[in-house]
Amino acid sequence: MLKRRDILAVVLIVLPWTLLITVWHQSTIAPLLAIRKGQMSLIEGRVAITNHQKMLEKREAVPGPDLREYCSSDKDIVEVVRTEYVYTRPPPWSETLPTIHVVTPTYSRPVQKAELTRLANTFLHVPNLHWVLVEDSARPTALVARLLHETGLNYTHLNVETPRNYKLRGDTRDPRIPRGTMQRNLALRWFRETLGQNATQLGVVYFADDDNTYSLELFEEMRSTQKVSVWPVAFVGGLRYESPKVNGAGKVYGWKTVFDPHRPFAIDMAGFAINLHLILAKPQAYFKLRGVKGGYQESSLLRELVTLNDLEPRAANCTKILVWHTRTEKPVLVNEGKKGFTDPNVEI
Amino acid sequence: MRSCSWRCDCTEHDLAKDRTISRLREKLHSLLEQTKKAEPTKPLKPPLPTIYVITPTYARLVQKAELTRLSHTFLLVPQLHWIVVEDSPHRTGLVSEFLSHSGLAFTHLHVATPHERKLQEGDPSWLKPRGAEQRNEGLRWLRENIRSQEGGVIYFADDDNTYSLQLFEEMRWTQRVSVWPVGLVGGMRYERPIVEQGHVVRFHTGWRPSRPFPLDMAGFAVSLRLVLANPEARFDGDAPMGFLESSFLQSLVTMEELEPKADLCTKVLVWHTRTEKPKMKREEAMQKQGLGSDPAVEV
Repeated sequence: MLKRRDILAVVLIVLPWTLLITVWHQSTIAPLLAIRKGQMSLIEGRVAITNHQKMLEKREAVPGPDLREYCSSDKDIVEVVRTEYVYTRPPPWSETLPTIHVVTPTYSRPVQKAELTRLANTFLHVPNLHWVLVEDSARPTALVARLLHETGLNYTHLNVETPRNYKLRGDTRDPRIPRGTMQRNLALRWFRETLGQNATQLGVVYFADDDNTYSLELFEEMRSTQKVSVWPVAFVGGLRYESPKVNGAGKVYGWKTVFDPHRPFAIDMAGFAINLHLILAKPQAYFKLRGVKGGYQESSLLRELVTLNDLEPRAANCTKILVWHTRTEKPVLVNEGKKGFTDPNVEI
Repeated sequence: MRSCSWRCDCTEHDLAKDRTISRLREKLHSLLEQTKKAEPTKPLKPPLPTIYVITPTYARLVQKAELTRLSHTFLLVPQLHWIVVEDSPHRTGLVSEFLSHSGLAFTHLHVATPHERKLQEGDPSWLKPRGAEQRNEGLRWLRENIRSQEGGVIYFADDDNTYSLQLFEEMRWTQRVSVWPVGLVGGMRYERPIVEQGHVVRFHTGWRPSRPFPLDMAGFAVSLRLVLANPEARFDGDAPMGFLESSFLQSLVTMEELEPKADLCTKVLVWHTRTEKPKMKREEAMQKQGLGSDPAVEV
């Protein structure tokens, strides 16, 4: 027979731990909650927003979705004050989450700083992200070094120059080497030389070009990659999107593309991620440098690492778009004239 | 704790339990104190002025991508309220869904540009001023819903530009109208106001510098108070090319009153990037054969 003292003892044991867990939960798990549907309530600061939004919605005649449904359970948490949490980025490093190593080749041109700025603003939301930025240059540039330092992100700054084709006028690269190849290969070499020994740093490698657009959900989809995971990419191959074909058993059996669907891996660079273990286990696997037909770059690496059967489909069995192959227009600097109109010391 | 059968004489155990209970009571008390300290009920600093960002947007292939990466920047800015105004006769599901999951404080508005003011297929982008009706709609909402005591600043941010985080802190304390350089605009690496002795004296621009305010939409912010004090100030959709910004600003401020930011207008903190229209030749060919991509999959 349970005495009242027993019950009281149990309650007094359980309650402090519940309190502790609640406080801990809010501070470390909150970044992951940011991307889950309907989970706005547990993030300090976002709650104030949710209620403000509720208030605003009341004044408009909204024919769309009833956003009040989202907020009905938040009444109890109304008092939470906006803390500085939301602005301490990047999120604190977790010892348990696999690291996402993002490899971005980049090169100097007028839009470079803008591209890297908005890319960094996306990465600042992703926990345990390690940005490996590889410049196509003979030396690391001050622009990129400064930018990386100011973001506060965890990064590695590398550089390797694609050989120029001096036969062509101007500063044209050798057109036979696909853009970004040497830079991505340098990153692969860096992983093999630097991370081979340190087991805790292992995770997933993703090749992210500096002009694409990435949703935050994408990074969480790729984090659990065992070998190679794949998903659709918008705006490639002259289509709204290209996608792997997934059968009822959840296996990839082909490619939904118009451009050469019979390539071993008819997928864009932005459409897959590789577990770092696999890269370390196959130290000879690199992107092929020369003699690669257009669209076969990705296959040149992936066929050394996996078969079709090994691929892990993500993004709801490859039915959702979480990454867009956007391209930025080259700005027309017609008013600069031959001598340049603006001060070259002002960095853009 | 040793189990105690109800038949035994448990006097000794009772004492141990009592001690445990009082120890746990103390622990509970100290934990409650700790959580109270972690959540102060009074803010220690005065609240930051809100930045109201007005973004006109319209449906096209890259819309969701643009809004997505824009939202990632805005999520990093304290006290930001995003006013998204669709060029549409009604709110679309894509934008509604997107905003509700964005994590941002937002207001979702819409107004359709009259047909004669819309760019037609094949028109160059500079032919007609765009977004005037949508920005005016954003201003209307602010005038009807926000009180001027709340302070705040209004910024017109198009959905394809690129914004650094520092830019928002530069504009936050605007008294009237603040200005700064904009990169990659006007056919130049950047355009900027020229500042002498702390005041704007002229503008460095490659195109029609004689305009009242030869600057880009992304190159200025206006205090909420000023807009509320001037209820007639709006963008003129019929203004000639390049005069849209002037049509709004000339009723609000003179050049001498402009507040120069970004290190007296020497740093570029915003870029007028433009996104290419994705090539859809294969998609169009497939659709003619009835084999187009699944329209239910939203891009």
